Amino acid sequence: MIRLALGTLRQHRGAYAGTFFAALLAVALLVGGGLLLASVLTAKPPANRFAAAPIVVAGDRDVTLEKVTTKQKKDKSKVKRKVKSERLTGAGSLPVDLAGRLGDLPGVAAAVADVAFPVQASTPDGRPLRGADGAPVIGHGWASAALTPYLLRGGAAPGRGEVVIDADLAQRSGSTVGGRLLVTTKTGVHTMVVSGVAAPAGRNGLPAQGALFVADGEVATVSGLPGPTAVAMLTRPGTDPVALRAAVGQVAGDHEVLTGADRVRADLPGALPDYIGPISIFGFVIGITAFAAVFVLTGTVTLGVRQRLRELALLRTAGATPGQLRRLLGVESLLLAGAAALPGAPLGVLFAHLVAARFQELGAVPAQFVVRTNVLVIVAAAAAGMVVTFVGARVAGRRAVRIAPTQALAETADAPTGGLAPRIAAAVTTTAGAVALLVFVPLDGPLGMGMSFVSSALLLCTVAALGPLLVRALTTPVSRLVGVGGPTGWLAGLVSRAEPRRVAAIAVPLVLMFAINATMLLNSALLGQLAQREQQDRTAAATAQVTAPGGLPLDTVERLVALDGVTGAAATLPTRAIVEQGGKPEDFASQGLLIAGTEAALDLDLRAGTLPGPGAFAASAYVAGQYGWRVGDDVQVWLADGHRVDLRLAGVYARARGFGDLVLPAELVAAHDPRGLVGTVGLRYRGDVPDRIAASWPGLRLAPTLAAAPANDAQNQQGAWELMVVISLGFTAIAVVNTFAIATAARRREFADLRLAGATTGQLHRLVDREAMITVAVGLLLGALVTAIVVGAFSAAQDGTVRVVVDAGTYAGMLGGVAALGLVAGAVPARVLLRRRGLPALGDRR
Amino acid sequence: MGRRVVRETRLDQAFPMGNSDGTPARGLVVEVLDVTKAYTGGGGVRALDGVSVGFEAGSFCAVMGPSGSGKSTLLHCAAGLDRPDSGRVLLAGQDIGGLREPRLTEARRQRVGFVFQSYNLMESLSVWHNILLPQRLAGVRPDQGWAREVIRRVGLTGREDDRPGRLSGGQRQRVALARALASRPEVIFADEPTGALDLSTGREVLGLLREAVDQTGTTIVMVTHDPAAAAWADRAVFLADGRIVAELADPTAEKVAAQMMAVTVR
Repeated sequence: MIRLALGTLRQHRGAYAGTFFAALLAVALLVGGGLLLASVLTAKPPANRFAAAPIVVAGDRDVTLEKVTTKQKKDKSKVKRKVKSERLTGAGSLPVDLAGRLGDLPGVAAAVADVAFPVQASTPDGRPLRGADGAPVIGHGWASAALTPYLLRGGAAPGRGEVVIDADLAQRSGSTVGGRLLVTTKTGVHTMVVSGVAAPAGRNGLPAQGALFVADGEVATVSGLPGPTAVAMLTRPGTDPVALRAAVGQVAGDHEVLTGADRVRADLPGALPDYIGPISIFGFVIGITAFAAVFVLTGTVTLGVRQRLRELALLRTAGATPGQLRRLLGVESLLLAGAAALPGAPLGVLFAHLVAARFQELGAVPAQFVVRTNVLVIVAAAAAGMVVTFVGARVAGRRAVRIAPTQALAETADAPTGGLAPRIAAAVTTTAGAVALLVFVPLDGPLGMGMSFVSSALLLCTVAALGPLLVRALTTPVSRLVGVGGPTGWLAGLVSRAEPRRVAAIAVPLVLMFAINATMLLNSALLGQLAQREQQDRTAAATAQVTAPGGLPLDTVERLVALDGVTGAAATLPTRAIVEQGGKPEDFASQGLLIAGTEAALDLDLRAGTLPGPGAFAASAYVAGQYGWRVGDDVQVWLADGHRVDLRLAGVYARARGFGDLVLPAELVAAHDPRGLVGTVGLRYRGDVPDRIAASWPGLRLAPTLAAAPANDAQNQQGAWELMVVISLGFTAIAVVNTFAIATAARRREFADLRLAGATTGQLHRLVDREAMITVAVGLLLGALVTAIVVGAFSAAQDGTVRVVVDAGTYAGMLGGVAALGLVAGAVPARVLLRRRGLPALGDRR
Repeated sequence: MGRRVVRETRLDQAFPMGNSDGTPARGLVVEVLDVTKAYTGGGGVRALDGVSVGFEAGSFCAVMGPSGSGKSTLLHCAAGLDRPDSGRVLLAGQDIGGLREPRLTEARRQRVGFVFQSYNLMESLSVWHNILLPQRLAGVRPDQGWAREVIRRVGLTGREDDRPGRLSGGQRQRVALARALASRPEVIFADEPTGALDLSTGREVLGLLREAVDQTGTTIVMVTHDPAAAAWADRAVFLADGRIVAELADPTAEKVAAQMMAVTVR
């Protein structure tokens, strides 16, 4: 049976090749996306700063909440515990005396109070110190050097006003022993002398973090931390690790005791490559690619099966039962997809490496990230590709296999058309899903982009399910328009109207290409525009914005805003804060805010209440709405180091884009954020304030407006987003070309008949071009419709304004690009097919 | 067999297929001169080996021969569907050997109609549009009155809006014939027009071909291997191994069958 089917392979080269190609690309995308996600999920920290300390006690690194619900059932009561946690961006500190108590334990050679804090260091001529790949510089007390260990390569341990830096930093910045460095932390700018250069054994520094050691006596003054962020223990040889761990646990109480690979978690979160962002990025990548791959693959398989209806009918005449045909289609699709997986898998590995490299260039993924080739993922992705092909073939063949044997004798085989009911049921379900998402999910929240993508995917499924119906409705007016003039236009209109299924099969990938990519591009452009506008509106009142390359310590800002002539000031410290609802902690971009003077330098568009003073905070309208807060409510807020405070909601503001959802007192943020530096100061002044600022603080920049670069984070997201669109554009474009090629390859006979009826080759070219115009127009109309629904709803959710085009340039570019691709993809295969023979008909009558 | 429409009356004087005095044109509509054609596949077999034959205007000629004798190749070369390797083909006096595309197609479209075993209709077009298709492609205003008349003659009145997929084989072949007739070609080439039809349907189609010759003065060249079909023609030409080996005037099924036997055994 299968040999029989493979025997006909030559006859249907087009359909087989198209399905094979689609399966190959689908497997490649699934493998690539799967590998990226798996690699990022299993990414290991590149190095352990506690390598020499077998056991470490850490302060809080996350906020963990337990929700206990008690269910009363007759006489039994059921207690359910749900633990949810959210990672901190800073590190909680430990009691100062803990190191001493741990040091007394038997088997402990030394308990080192480890302090880790981010520093901004630069050479006196202003060159910032960064590690390899822009890694941050982390400050420690000199005692911490023993934990890795860092050994002095030259110079001496730091004394008061001195630092030791790692050899990698020394090399990159050209610093030598005796040189000077400017070290900025939240406690201020410190001028320090390099007393020595140290390095871990065998290398110049640790990957992903540069190390700067200050004298142990000076750690508290430089870092501004109340205690150590971890206590690491060096043990005596022959100590029983299990017993020691138990003993340490007793002393440490609630604090976490870490051993083995877990010890890295005791490091400062900012010192480790952050894989949270990449996980969501790669999750999105695999979501988009998987959807597009499955969508395209099922469409291609369906088209391929439909083109072989005659062959299926012939097999039926030869005595095959529908069951046998079903099995035949199944086995054949598995073989095809299996064969496609062989080149698809290595292509996917290549794809993963290319994408990862590009994301690293954009800074969206840590430079230390490596793509690991995971055989399990590859096998799973290949299996997924095979399953999709298999299911697609079975679904496409479910009616085709019941084809009447007599159809083999008929001029064209036509599968029995199934009832409309399943199509309509599928369409209603997916449409309802899309509408529900658009209506009930707050699209102005963090889920907005993802959910608008999902709803556009659901609407695409609707279009696919209703394809022939929608196409039939649209083809008539469109083909009237396109079909004007000449016999070829007339014929193109007739042929398109007569073949709604073929038009639909080609139009649907065009709809996919336009809708998916236009939705992503327009929504992200909209967010960009809104953020930019809000940024302008927020800062419009200020005469100037003051920034420093690494950030400004709060006390500098306090002196700056107290300058004579400053009439108003607003200083913001970027941070993240966590709030809780229903036992689920969630973190939000936030700002610490310092207000000075009588004139407002920041306009947050307060909707209720006032800007927060001490003991109070303000929330964005979105968060206040989500959490049901009202002005005057007391709310628990966890700061970056896990410190919990109760703050009263003083105000609700609207302009949160590119800013943050919570506004907290600046002092509080400065005390509890490890960085704790002011990002920008908006100023209103009279007189020669700029000159005096330049005189007192030569490193500061004073500009009339803030350059439209809100946060580095957002920029990474934007770049990552664009790259995703590029990937998805590429794949959907290939799908469009592939579908056109398959559909055209099957028309050899039809073209031959037309040639016999007296059509010249030129007329056939024009016919195919006109048909492509009709198909492209139908596809773009449907694509624009899906896009308009999703983008309109997304836009309405943002600020109540329904926009469809958002960005005329992007929209026109998408329209023009998809149209051009569709027209070329329609024209080229037909020309190749027609060039091969003057009259293709006579050779292959059958 | 042997039933024959007597050709003494020309009913369709309105349709200028003959000379101005109403008598049929006696010149050659198609002239094949010393044509050879070889196919590269199969060791360079000569499908046509120096064939010369002419087809008179207003005549019905059957081209006979066993499988592989070159009869279809002859038809393709004569109709301008295929190019001979050497020799000349004159279509209504015009040497089509020197024509390049799209001139060749235009010449064919203007002068030739086709009826094939596999009908070769456009599935996506209705009967009516199929019939008018060659004229539309030629960019001429279709003669709808004549088209309706042709449809009436082939007995398809009322089926104009149907797609070919809904018609029987015999009906489809009638559509193909109507299409060939509708553009008033100087010659209709028919390649096994009854090959896919049952006996009685085939007979009806042959009757319509005969009628077209008799009533409209159309010239028909028909390739067939069926002696019964050849009996409807005025003349039968026999091919074997790429050469014309015999010719019969006013063929009957018996004479043709006997000649075929001789040709095949040779």
